[in-house]
Amino acid sequence: MNDNVRLRRITVVAALAVAIVVPLFISNFYQFEASEIAVLAILVLSLVVITGYVGQISFCQYSFAAIGAFTVGSLVGGHHWSFWLALVVAVAFSSVVGILVGIPALRLSGLFLAILTVAVALFFDRFLLAAGTWDSFSGGLNPWRVGRPSFFGIGLDGPYAYYAFTLGAFAVMAWLVWNLRIGKTGRVLRAIRGSEIAASMIGIDVTLWKLAAFGLSAGLAGLAGGLLAAGVGGVSPPSFDFLHSIQIAALATVMGVESIASAAAGALALVAVPEILTHTPISADYFPLFVGGVLIVQLVFAPQGAVPKMVEDIKHLLARGRHGEPDATTDEISAKVTV
Amino acid sequence: MILASANFGLFPSYTVIGLVLGGTYALAAIGLVLIYRVSGVLHFGHGAVAMFATFIAYTVSVEHGLPSIIGLFAAIVTGAALGYIIERFTIRPLRDRPALTKVVITIGWLLVLQTLAGAIWKNTAYHRPVQLVSRSGFKLPVLNLIIGYDQLTTLLVAIGLAVGTAALLRYTTLGISMRAVADDPGAARLWGVNVNRVTAASWMVGSAMGAVAGVLVTPQISFTTFALTLIVIDAFTAALIGRLSSLPWTVVGAVALGLAQTYPRMVTNISGSGEAATFLLVIVTLFVLFRPGAQRVRLA
Repeated sequence: MNDNVRLRRITVVAALAVAIVVPLFISNFYQFEASEIAVLAILVLSLVVITGYVGQISFCQYSFAAIGAFTVGSLVGGHHWSFWLALVVAVAFSSVVGILVGIPALRLSGLFLAILTVAVALFFDRFLLAAGTWDSFSGGLNPWRVGRPSFFGIGLDGPYAYYAFTLGAFAVMAWLVWNLRIGKTGRVLRAIRGSEIAASMIGIDVTLWKLAAFGLSAGLAGLAGGLLAAGVGGVSPPSFDFLHSIQIAALATVMGVESIASAAAGALALVAVPEILTHTPISADYFPLFVGGVLIVQLVFAPQGAVPKMVEDIKHLLARGRHGEPDATTDEISAKVTV
Repeated sequence: MILASANFGLFPSYTVIGLVLGGTYALAAIGLVLIYRVSGVLHFGHGAVAMFATFIAYTVSVEHGLPSIIGLFAAIVTGAALGYIIERFTIRPLRDRPALTKVVITIGWLLVLQTLAGAIWKNTAYHRPVQLVSRSGFKLPVLNLIIGYDQLTTLLVAIGLAVGTAALLRYTTLGISMRAVADDPGAARLWGVNVNRVTAASWMVGSAMGAVAGVLVTPQISFTTFALTLIVIDAFTAALIGRLSSLPWTVVGAVALGLAQTYPRMVTNISGSGEAATFLLVIVTLFVLFRPGAQRVRLA
């Protein structure tokens, strides 16, 4: 156990060191993409909370991110607010919407929740963000422009500066989400994921916890959306469509949706693989094909998820024959789905 | 202000458009319910399969100029083949795994088929619809209403296939086996039903019906890969109204959805009003029909 903790600490420190140092030596464009990875990692992290910890599937994380992005966009671009104030409002607003989506989810299990979240994603994608419906929010036909803010006097205009800032944001959020796994919160969440009925029997207010999880998850997604807006410099609806939402859910499943490391790995794949594809004869348009194909193959042959499986394998190699307690598989998370 | 453009004289023709749309949704939804009830899988890739099959029909009939009926046949074969492949190689091996895992598999298929189709036929390009019968129509005397022959055909095919499916389930050995597997796969197996074969058949029949729906709907909607893939959402909504079980109620739901998506266009030109109607219908249905403890109903 102690070995595990030490190993984890070493891994985290090494990964952070690589994440801080390596982007210093790459071109501005790749530094920009690195900041995208950090922001998307926060988005995948929001799935870790809702799907990995509480066992609720969501195909509308990009809709929550859109709320964050367009709140920042309309307040900064349209009303000249300070970015930071707008970001706080954006996170709060997306949390509220997340809780609203969570309310019907309380009565629905598994499959029906999946349908509900798809309907939510389409409603946002096709109706709310469509030009003409709510232009003071979506910007209509003119995408909002959002400048880079400065962070306690340090300008974030440079690509590396913004990357460092987003990496810091991801690290803080990852630490926060990691803390949910341990202590009382962790036990409560595991109990709910294991069996909602059993959890309520021992006095856990399942309703409250699930709504809180939805709020937190949507808040994280909203944060990612807000940071995305500032990173790209503007927001426009197509980057938040339904296909993105299911793609990120698929990728999180491929990586193993209960581990924080897979949030980072998922985001890395989300940016790096299309980037690699553009340098091959195949174009980046094929990325969803790659995600879908890997997802199918992996669920048929290795349901555990790529990252947890790799972690297991490494632990296995290091501790020859000593088995750690494996993380829950996608199967276990969804095992309680009964229709 | 928005209402100023309302023209209720168009009510009958919007009703026809809504009914035709509802008819195609009914076909897609019946396929979905068939697959869901027999194999327990909510098939999110249903629309993508239908889309892929429809674009095969497009290639055959529009690009190569063969008669539309051959295109339709090619689409049906493609749909059935895709249904078989998905069931046989990616769903059957996961027999003992939870329902949600299988749902995620179908999401994978959605991504794969959507991307492939985008690569082959281009996502945003304009595609000429596969016109099974001519667009010309006849005039209904009393209402002063013009009905296109293609609209009439779509409605008749939808009604015919819905009735045909009901007959299949009620009177044929395969249909009775399907109902048996839907109700209790274990018991069906004990009674000598070949559950694997019946499940595969339901996927093939269901996907083929999706393909027919796809071909029929091409003149009614914007004919793009994404629009057709998203038909699965309309099919889900209709199927939800049938509690994912009852075929007659699914048809009712499909028609209601078709009308609900069409009527708002009579009074408003806000884009996405159809999606908003779908969303409202999903929410209301989930709340009303899927109360905890709501009863399950039979397939047919």
